[in-house]
Amino acid sequence: MFIKVYSATNLGLETIGVDVEVNIASRGLPIFDIVGLPSKSVDESKERVKTAIVNSRIEFPSRRIIVNLAPADIPKEGSCYDLPIAVGILGSVIKCEIPEKSLFFGELSLDGTLRHTKGALLLSLFAREKGIESIFVPKASANEAAIIKGINVYPVENLNQLLAHVLGKIQIRPAQYHKEESSDIEEKAEFDMAEILGQEQAKRAAEISAAGGHNLFMIGSPGAGKTMLARALPGILPKLQEEESLEVTKIYSASGNIPPEGSLITICPFRSPHHTISQPGLIGGGTKPQPGEISLAHRGVLFLDEFTEFPRSVMEALRQPMEDGYLTISRSQARVKYPSRFILVASANPCPCGYLYHPKKECICTQREIKRYRKRISGPILDRIDLHVEVPVVDVRDLSNDQKSREFLESSNRIRERIIKAREMQRKRFLNDKIYTNAEMKNEHIKKYCFLSKEVKQILNQAVMSFHLSARSYFKMIKVARTIADLEYAENINVNHMAEALQYRPKRENYELS
Amino acid sequence: MGIYIGKNTMITINDPKYPKLLKQINDPPKQLYYRGNWDNNIFNNCLAVVGSRKMTSYGQQITNKLISEIASRGITIVSGFMYGIDATAHKTALDVGARTIAVMPCGIERIHPEYQTKLYADILENNGLIISEFEGDSLPAFWTYPKRNRIIAGLSKAVMVIEAGLKSGSLITANLAKKYKRKVFAVPGPLTSVLSQGISQLIKENADVVTCAGDVLDYYNIKRKIINKKEFDNSLNNLEQRIIQELQQEPMEIDVLSRSLKISSAQIGTTMSLMQLKGLIFIENGKYYVH
Repeated sequence: MFIKVYSATNLGLETIGVDVEVNIASRGLPIFDIVGLPSKSVDESKERVKTAIVNSRIEFPSRRIIVNLAPADIPKEGSCYDLPIAVGILGSVIKCEIPEKSLFFGELSLDGTLRHTKGALLLSLFAREKGIESIFVPKASANEAAIIKGINVYPVENLNQLLAHVLGKIQIRPAQYHKEESSDIEEKAEFDMAEILGQEQAKRAAEISAAGGHNLFMIGSPGAGKTMLARALPGILPKLQEEESLEVTKIYSASGNIPPEGSLITICPFRSPHHTISQPGLIGGGTKPQPGEISLAHRGVLFLDEFTEFPRSVMEALRQPMEDGYLTISRSQARVKYPSRFILVASANPCPCGYLYHPKKECICTQREIKRYRKRISGPILDRIDLHVEVPVVDVRDLSNDQKSREFLESSNRIRERIIKAREMQRKRFLNDKIYTNAEMKNEHIKKYCFLSKEVKQILNQAVMSFHLSARSYFKMIKVARTIADLEYAENINVNHMAEALQYRPKRENYELS
Repeated sequence: MGIYIGKNTMITINDPKYPKLLKQINDPPKQLYYRGNWDNNIFNNCLAVVGSRKMTSYGQQITNKLISEIASRGITIVSGFMYGIDATAHKTALDVGARTIAVMPCGIERIHPEYQTKLYADILENNGLIISEFEGDSLPAFWTYPKRNRIIAGLSKAVMVIEAGLKSGSLITANLAKKYKRKVFAVPGPLTSVLSQGISQLIKENADVVTCAGDVLDYYNIKRKIINKKEFDNSLNNLEQRIIQELQQEPMEIDVLSRSLKISSAQIGTTMSLMQLKGLIFIENGKYYVH
């Protein structure tokens, strides 16, 4: 008997429909085989399906069972075919109608229950696109799939329950999307901005960075508070917009980073990989290309602490995705495009020992060592960073005694309110431009949206002369000034906005020696 | 790179053009190799400026300030071409169009340190001199530095030390100068700095303290420049004046300034950028200084 069940496979962020054909022959020796380029994990599905069916107290047919995963030339991977294969076999054993226009997707446990399976969101997106009415997914993945409206997402607990539903004995109710409880931003950030004493300028730079999506580079001695500042960033980032949220959740779904019962990701991702990370780990890769940290940080923050310690090749690989906002990973078996629009926050010491310019400690590095150390930071990468800021060492005793400066401190929530408004302005501005933030502006956008008065232009030109700014820096300054203006809800960039933006220019002394 | 082969030029101790002051020391070099145009006038009023390689921003600032005034009054700056105070002294002298002499610790055909090739060319272009007692392209060694230092001290009427640690070549030069009965000037620095320890010791040993260029000029019998107090104070707005006042006391970072003036760092930063463009202040190692 021949039964066809529909399922799908995910390749990167794309989904391809897969027909699971199950044929149980009445002749021939008992055998259970899967064809259609199954990988090891798909091949092992045989044992899972068999045992799960037996443990569900259903007799497993001892006949010649051939499963074909069509199209046969695309390699199949993952455990999501367990359910469609099981359904196909059950369909011919029990002799029931398989629901039409439905997709089956999910991994089986040996006891017949279904396990959380990655990629459920992509499946329901695919279903909507193809006009498929209902999908059957594991209960733990149902909330994730239910994000997409207009599709019946059936949360399946185990094989018996599904069987009862198919036979009409019970009715599984389609899952309704519900928000996750623990999506408060306050819980996400390790530190509140108000906990950081001093570092007013660096904090301001972080605010501008979050408001306009600008990349940020911090340079300073150990213990100055670079890491703390970066870790406080998630607390001032606004929640993701609906479209952004979906983009991020897709990536997380495809890479299996959504926890069971999880749903839409609404908080800006914050990723801080260690500097021993490999190139595929950072930008993505593998024979079946997986998203790297830059894609997992999409629409969020990628924090690279100790930036100088990252291998040069890894650092350089950041260039193109930083510029384009996406990355295409090409391998012999697959070509996959992942979005990678992230805010890069990098930090580094001023010299190998870390204590150059330190008010108390002596630097023990020679000129040559410092020179070599600074060469490690790639010039092209620095050129793509909008905000450069020094994080000087602060004397904590001075600060904590000063009650007045404590009152000065703003909490992350208050800063975030300003940022949300600034982002709002940007969204209205870029409504028809397919970009979200000032940092993404191309030259045409700058021409369109950043009117510079004569005085502002004069200041900028003067700065180009006296600070030796490059052409790219020139436009970066305008972008940063635009964000500063947005933080004040100002329609146009004025002299003060531009002057402040100039504070965050790359200072030559930090990157080269005269 | 690093090796400069020019016209092979040498002067021996018996040559009448051999610098007289240098001849007076107890072990003058028997021959001097040089690059540039030998003009004996250059040796008339020589001041040796020596100091740490690990110059701080304070060191750089004070070197600029003192040397630009001293060199512009016709005093030749003699130094060791090393990075740090030495190179800054050379550069400052060149900036005011003065002649300067670099005494090398290596063979005359070598430029050491190599990346200062531009400075080397600039010195020659400004009618300065490069001197070494070593021929060929021999590398510097530990023992060549003190030998070089005796030439620096020997050529000059006085040695000025800016920023020196307790065990440093600068102190060797200063002690040699004392031995040769030359004047030793010490430029004081903050006592908290390691690079002030050598200076403090010199002062204890009766070196002359330099607080302004005039202190040195007096010794060379050159008139001090009378600085007419600029009246630009009125052209500054209130905040700018307060910032200048704060920075005159002590150079500081924006954060510290914003705390002591109780004004947001964003606003301070804005003003500072504009002041920087006006040329009132400058930034060095994250701290702001008044010009």
